[in-house]
Amino acid sequence: MWAYFINLAVLISINAILAVTLNFILGYAGIFSIAHALFFGVGAYTATFVAMKFGAGFLTATAAGMLLAALISLALALPALRVRGEYFVAASLGLQMLAVTIFTEWKSVTGGIGGLTNIPPARLFGFAVTQPEHFLLLSLLALGLIVLVIRALVRSSFGRSLKAIRDDETAAWAYGKNVAIIKTTAVVVSSALAAVAGSLYAFYLSFINVESFVLDTSIQLMAMVIIGGTATLLGPLIGTVLILLLPAALSYLPYLPVTEIGSIQQIVYGLAMVLLMIYRPGGLWGFQDAPPSSKSGTA
Amino acid sequence: MLLLQLLINGLQLGAIYALTAVGFSLIFGATKIFHVAHGAAFTIAAYLFWWTTAVKGWPWPLAAGLAVLAAVVFGLAMERFIYRPIQRHEGAFFTVFIAAFGVQIIVQNLIGTVFGRGFVSVTTPLSRSVEVLPGLFVAPVAALAIVLAVVGFTGLTIYLARTHWGMAMRALSENPDLIRVFGLDPGRVAQYAFAIGSAIVVPGAIFTAMTAGLNPAVGAHVMLISLAATIVGGIGSLRGAAYGGLLLGLAENLALWRLDPQWSEAVTFVVLFLFIIFRPAGFFGRPHAAK
Amino acid sequence: MRLVRLLALLAAFQLGAAAARAQDSIKIGADLPMSGPNAEYGELFGAAANLAVEHANADKMLSKKLSIQFEDSQATPQQGVVAMNKLVNVEKVPFVLSAFTGVSKAIAPVGDRAKVVSVNGGGIGPDLAELGEYFWNVIPLVNLEIRVMAPYLVQERGFKKIALVYVDDPAGEAIQKELKDNVPKAGGQMVAELQVPRNAQQFTSIAAKVREAGPDLVFIASFGAQQAQIVKQLRDNGVSQQLASYSAFSSPTVTQLPEAKGALFPTQSVDWAAPGMSARVAKDWKAKTGKEPNAYVANYYNAVMVFVHLAQALEKKGQPITGENLLQQRKANGSFELVGGKMDFLPNGSVSMPIQINEIDGGAGKLVKGGTLAK
Repeated sequence: MWAYFINLAVLISINAILAVTLNFILGYAGIFSIAHALFFGVGAYTATFVAMKFGAGFLTATAAGMLLAALISLALALPALRVRGEYFVAASLGLQMLAVTIFTEWKSVTGGIGGLTNIPPARLFGFAVTQPEHFLLLSLLALGLIVLVIRALVRSSFGRSLKAIRDDETAAWAYGKNVAIIKTTAVVVSSALAAVAGSLYAFYLSFINVESFVLDTSIQLMAMVIIGGTATLLGPLIGTVLILLLPAALSYLPYLPVTEIGSIQQIVYGLAMVLLMIYRPGGLWGFQDAPPSSKSGTA
Repeated sequence: MLLLQLLINGLQLGAIYALTAVGFSLIFGATKIFHVAHGAAFTIAAYLFWWTTAVKGWPWPLAAGLAVLAAVVFGLAMERFIYRPIQRHEGAFFTVFIAAFGVQIIVQNLIGTVFGRGFVSVTTPLSRSVEVLPGLFVAPVAALAIVLAVVGFTGLTIYLARTHWGMAMRALSENPDLIRVFGLDPGRVAQYAFAIGSAIVVPGAIFTAMTAGLNPAVGAHVMLISLAATIVGGIGSLRGAAYGGLLLGLAENLALWRLDPQWSEAVTFVVLFLFIIFRPAGFFGRPHAAK
Repeated sequence: MRLVRLLALLAAFQLGAAAARAQDSIKIGADLPMSGPNAEYGELFGAAANLAVEHANADKMLSKKLSIQFEDSQATPQQGVVAMNKLVNVEKVPFVLSAFTGVSKAIAPVGDRAKVVSVNGGGIGPDLAELGEYFWNVIPLVNLEIRVMAPYLVQERGFKKIALVYVDDPAGEAIQKELKDNVPKAGGQMVAELQVPRNAQQFTSIAAKVREAGPDLVFIASFGAQQAQIVKQLRDNGVSQQLASYSAFSSPTVTQLPEAKGALFPTQSVDWAAPGMSARVAKDWKAKTGKEPNAYVANYYNAVMVFVHLAQALEKKGQPITGENLLQQRKANGSFELVGGKMDFLPNGSVSMPIQINEIDGGAGKLVKGGTLAK
């Protein structure tokens, strides 16, 4: 029983890293990206490649993942940030779908759909992290560090500029803020930190394949942020826990027909999204900052 | 001959994409709602058509009529029960997106539960292609799809240009208040947009049921392509959405001339990405699309 | 103080309930797709497994009632692992039914670490034989199927030029590799090898490319809804050549498809009329579902029966039913009389069974070549 909870906790903390980093650009900067899962994937594949080909330890592997994710996110950010919100969604959509095809076809590196198996355990300062309890410590540590980094950024003048840009880009620009650089930096930071989650994921499951990095994953991450509460630090964490626990909780209900459980889970999840959006669009925890609005956005 | 065949296939597929994209573009253009659940209308219409013809044995016109009715009811229900309440609360653009996506998930799973998750199709001699030239095969249903797309699109253009409701729909995207000044209710105009936009997917849904076949995820796929087509064609331009759909259908098939099949879907999204970077306004979009 | 007593009472109650649950039945697990696009397989495999459970309980083969705990893998590796973890750590089953190559590869390390046996009856990728001691396969893997099909198609039926349409995943690629090796050996030639993405739905242009290649036969290596779509669209678009595939064609989605009539496909040799187990399963399956059973039904029925036989042996010896003991028992005696005849486990936990070749005729398939062992 304990092992089951630890497993769930590790998955929650990995997804929480993704949700928190997505919230950084979505909630605080108003940049709606459906490509977050691709940076998750880049982190995972890079870390695996570096660990398996060169025997690298966890820190090196993760750093490599972060670097590559940052570079790729530049490719997305620089051109696409010139256009309005809904176009950025579409551009990120295009990049996400393209990435899935590349993940599937570049078999020598990613293993295609068959994936990469027997990934060696993470090695940290000579110590191999094989026990699930130890891994949980590692992933919680990573989550904590990342939350602190995001918190620091949000509370700095950089964070204030981000929020200003989110609320009214023209005004921020008129005030002398270099909008493009600030937004690009936010995207790069968010993507690089998302790669950390990818590295953790690969070392934990010892197996990765493209199915974990598809469009559905990006959408699920976006749902975690929006349902939990945008532009708050606690919101994405709450959203992650809820969305990940939902299937587990539902599977305990005794009177659901076995063949329909999966569908019912998805229906509940969809219903939750709809109802929350109608009655509480700021998300469950979102009463600090108002969500970005399509009309002139003052809270 | 392979090239010509791929071209024809591309036109057939493009016609279906164009119809669905036009529906999405009409709704978005008139109401500014990112109706991602549009694919669900497609799925519902397609499955109802299949069920009434293949399972219940109804005559086609009746089945098609039911499909249209269902799609329209779905579109109207989305507008009335989902989008309007959200917009009342100063809903963010993307709050709408997530809610629509939630509906998409619900519909996809309900259809799977009710109709089964396997592959189903409507068997009809119309989907068998005929060798019109040596090596060139065209199915009657393909020709029908192209004809219907042209007819439907022309009809829609006339409607928007000539009728009161049509003009009101065009005005709604520019200036909702002006509509009120003229004594029309923006809510009603939005309803018309949803009704027509949802109804127009039905021919594509029926053709898909007859050719490629259905599974509960079919709407989501069509939705993605429609979205891409709308952007490539230019948001706010129905003509653009239609051409965008055609272009993407052609690209997906012509890619096979030189590339391996697994890259044909990627081609669609590369096209989308390039358009967004270099020409965000699309083919015919309004100038204020980019910054 | 009262709180402590209350908590202690609750804890005792929980332990008692757990113990009570543990006493009244023997549970095994199933990590199958219950939702999502591949749920039809989960339904099929689950129903077959449940039939075995019914028979085992009716015949009182074990000291307690047998039951299956189903968890949803959605046919994706991540969900499969989460479901496996629940089965292993919460339900504490010693034995799990698995399906799909990708899922199996992901859950095998979990089972290995926890010493829980996983058995696959549906996936056919050859790497399924390399997943460790605790991963077994009761379905002959695809390399064996192709080694029987290729000589039959080329030499006995005269289809020398073969075009292949295969899905972009380990199973499809394994089939491509096997065909590339075995077709020339039999004297034939691969004239086209077209790979399609897993979620592709449009094949009109693939049909055009197939026609271009001018084959005698088109071999389809896909699964689920996609393979039916490929068949239908090939036929709709002027491909009138003979069709063939691997055991995935035994899925009802294909056997009931009018356009698939005449297609050839291999399965393990199952004589459903053989008296005893096979006939009983065929009769009960037909009564329950109104359809004829296929090889997948046999596999998942057999997978459960393997457990039952091993557990029976352990009970006789007075040993507890754990994964470790099941493995040892299988190593000691890995031969079973099951649906389809005698099944022998190879040391690597997979099986070699005679392969038969069938033709789709609108019913359950016509046998065209009886059981042959792959060389």
